[in-house]
Order: sequence, then C-alpha cells, then structure tokens
Amino acid sequence: MSEPLVFMMGKFEARIPVDRTYFESHFWAVPHGDVFRVGFTSYAVRLLQDVYFLDWSIDADTQVRKKQSIGEIESSKAVSTMYAPADGHVIRFNEALLNDPSLINADNYDKGWLYEFSTTQPLLSPDEYVKVLEAGWDQTQRLLKNQFNE
Amino acid sequence: MAGRKITVVISQAPGKNPVKRHLEEEIATRLMLSGTAEVSVVPHLYDLTSDHTGMLWLKSLRGNLVVLGWLYPRAIRWVLDRNGVKGKEGSSRLNRLEDADADDQDHPPEEAAESRGIGALDVPNRLIYAIDLRNDSDPEIYIKEIERLADLTSVPLVQLGFGGIQLTAQPENSPATNGAGTSSDSTANGASAHSHNGDTGSVISGIFSNGNSNGANGHAEAPTLPITSPAVIGGGDVRRRWYPVIDYSRCTNCMECIDFCLFGVYGVDHADRILVEEQDNCKKGCPACSRVCPVNAIIFPEHKTPGIAGADGGPVEDFKIDLSKLFGAPSALEMAVLERDQELVADGREAVGTAVGLPKRQTCQPEKARDELDDLMDGLDSLDL
Repeated sequence: MSEPLVFMMGKFEARIPVDRTYFESHFWAVPHGDVFRVGFTSYAVRLLQDVYFLDWSIDADTQVRKKQSIGEIESSKAVSTMYAPADGHVIRFNEALLNDPSLINADNYDKGWLYEFSTTQPLLSPDEYVKVLEAGWDQTQRLLKNQFNE
Repeated sequence: MAGRKITVVISQAPGKNPVKRHLEEEIATRLMLSGTAEVSVVPHLYDLTSDHTGMLWLKSLRGNLVVLGWLYPRAIRWVLDRNGVKGKEGSSRLNRLEDADADDQDHPPEEAAESRGIGALDVPNRLIYAIDLRNDSDPEIYIKEIERLADLTSVPLVQLGFGGIQLTAQPENSPATNGAGTSSDSTANGASAHSHNGDTGSVISGIFSNGNSNGANGHAEAPTLPITSPAVIGGGDVRRRWYPVIDYSRCTNCMECIDFCLFGVYGVDHADRILVEEQDNCKKGCPACSRVCPVNAIIFPEHKTPGIAGADGGPVEDFKIDLSKLFGAPSALEMAVLERDQELVADGREAVGTAVGLPKRQTCQPEKARDELDDLMDGLDSLDL
C-alpha cells in the first residue's frame, strides 16, 4: 500500500490514506461490497479526541439528504451533531461502536468505521481532501482557539 | 416580616416529573412558612393562553414580581410581555451564575445587540425577576435569592397590611382570599389540594389562626395539618403548545420572519411592530423563523438548542467545542429552508425551497439618505428607455 498523505495539525500528523475517497465533512469512504464504509478521518478524530458517546437519530436502512442530521457524538473535547455527508442511503451502522465508541480512537480507518452508505454523488480524492484541509485550517484553528497548535 | 414580602409565581414544569414537582413544592412551602413571599403556582407558563386563569392571575398582580419556571429567563420574560404581564427586567444573581460560565467576551456584543432592539411597549415601573429552575436542584438556592430580592425591593407600601402586595391586586382573582373561585375549575388537582387551599390562603395572608377561608371552602381542616403547596391556579392539565416568542430587546422590526413564515403566524400591530399574532398556526417542532432572524430575537422556549430556546449567549455546551460546522452542519438558512419545506409538505402543500421569503440581510442596515446617484437612477427609470 502506498504511503499515506500527511496533513500537519500544528505538530500532530494527520494521516490521510490514499486507498480511499473522502467527503469534505471529514469522513473517509472505502468500497465494501457494493457500498461504502464511512468513518472519521484522523483530522476529525484529532479534533474530537476521546469519544465517549455516539448516538444515531435515524434507523438503519434510511434514505438521507446531504446535511440531514443523523446522530450525535460527544468526546472529551467536543460535542457535535453528525450530518449525512451526501444524498444517499444509510444501510447499517457499526454495531461494535455502540458498545465501545473508543474504537473510533483506536482504529479510525478500519474497525472504527461508522456506517455503510451508498451514494452516487462524487467524492474527493486524497489529494483533493488534503487541499480542503489546507484551505480550512486557519478557520478551524480560530474555532478551536488555537488549542491544537502546540 | 411583612415589610419584605415579595410576590412569587412558580410556573410548573410541563409533564409530571416528580423531581421537578418536588422542587416546586419545596420552594413554595418554605417561602410560605418563612413568610417571605406571597406564593402562587400556575401551570407551565409557555402553554398558557392569554385567557387562561393562570395568566389572568399573573396579569392581576401589581408590584415587583419573581417568576420561577423551567425556561430560560429571556423566555419567561418575553412570554409574560406578550401576554401583557409587563415590567422592567430584574437582575437575579442566579441568572448571573449561569452567565458566569459563558465566555466573558460574549457580553459586550450582546449588550450592543440589546440596544438595537425596538424594545417593549408600555412598560410600567416595576421589576420582573425571571429565574430558571434548571439552575439548581437545591431549593435553598432559590429561597436565599428570593429573600435577597425581597429585602432589595421592599417598599413602605407593603407594610400597610398583612395582605402586603395584594392590597393592590384584585382580590376576586386571588387564590389566597377566594379559594373557591380559583380552585373550582381545577378538578385535576384532586381533593387534597383543594381542601388545603383555605389553609394555604390563610398563610399567604399572614393569618396563622384558622381564618374564615376554611369556612368558605366548607371543609373543617384540622389546625395541625402541615402546610402544603398552593393549588395550581387554573388547574394543572394544560395542552402543550409550540409558538415563537419575540425578544423585543433584540428585535429590529426587520420583518424577515413575517416574510419567511408561510403559515400565517406573524402579523403587525397598530404601530407596525412585528407581532406573533396567530401563535397556534405555528408548526410543532419547527424553529425555522428563529434561524432566519438576523439578531436571534425569536425564541422557541422548548427547542433543544439553547440558542433557540432563549439562552443568553447562544449554544451553551459546557466547555466543549461544537464541531458540527466542521462535520457538515447546514447553515442556519439551509436548515430553516429544510424545516419549512418539511412542514409545507406535511400540510399537503408544495415545498418552496429557497424561492420564497429569503432574508434580505441588507434591509437591516440603516437607510442611507438619498444622494445624487439615486436621483440620477430614478431619472433614468422615468425616461422609460
């Protein structure tokens, strides 16, 4: 497998594997059968830090619109609503996370996947996703009041 | 003691949560026992229609007033204002405690925002203290604060009789002096609340012997019965409602809400001020107009987002960062359009998307005086080229 791309968040290296595609809202998507498995990128996980709590507000097997609210996540540093990354179909959730959301921290690019999703909308290449990160980093730091720029 | 009585109204939590009921009752009985306050209890303020007995009772009260409820203080204040229970904003330490958690930097812009609002009309010279019962689960916190407020606001007028502030209230509405009148329609309270009403009344009036109010109720109460919380004025069961509440200290009368809402909730009054005219036309759960309001003046007190429910500084999520924007949250406007479309479709109407009533943010800017360019443009228009 090729070396991942790296985006520097201050001194933290966020790895962006090149074997998959991305959504600009900081999710990766990797083909799994006829659908995608979707999970948080290392960039997102670094912002969240330790995930305590994960809750889906929709049922599995639900058609969603882009930006529709689909769940909530709470971590040591942050809270967030989660939104559908594109128009598509949420097929099923990763049951393992409901018992132990810390898998998101331990293995975000594999066992910590969030849900299976099908969409016909275009996704970003790893290069394109890193460009999104570069373009948004100043704003993200302002949001975080520079606390990750150590 | 009589010199420092203050009028306190407790607005019950919606539903029947025993923990919340207990806190309400604990505060009411302790205040009555100590003689600090004239206490009455109404159902959940937000659900009261303006002709509900509880709201009529609130309207009848004169003088400084403390209202405790399960709502943000801003929501309490402006629900009261909409129903004609008006007064200047009293500042409670409890609410400041809540604010102390917020970032201090939030305060200057907030005050600036307040000064831009069109303000409430016909505000009498009395203070209304709105206190959120979600501040703390310890009744003592509220008792202490109410005692402090009673001291702070005590005026000689109150000493004229044991009725205290009620001297200026309309006695026919008073649950203290006329238990039969108010509790007769409160069948939901059950017999025990009803039968204690006379007792409660005598305590409120500061008469600790068996007053004639027992006789009025037709119940022979044992004098040793413990004091119970007052009966709920107008009865405890009230239909849940959902409607916007305008904070006129922020509202600039820009009319974006009336343009955006397609359900006929908003109107204007005789002075062309924006008004929530048909509250019950509003769609349950839909806060879309609040999102399009450029100054966050529209409160939906029951919405789960604190900023929409009337919290002072927008979303209050402890000290945690809200990453929703990074993870693809729609903008307030996108959200408002989505929510409105959902309600339109649910009504069997067509979704309008962004085609109707979208904010024209520039209308909020102060109008500039006409200049030569305006005259030139009008001149060109009139040439009809």
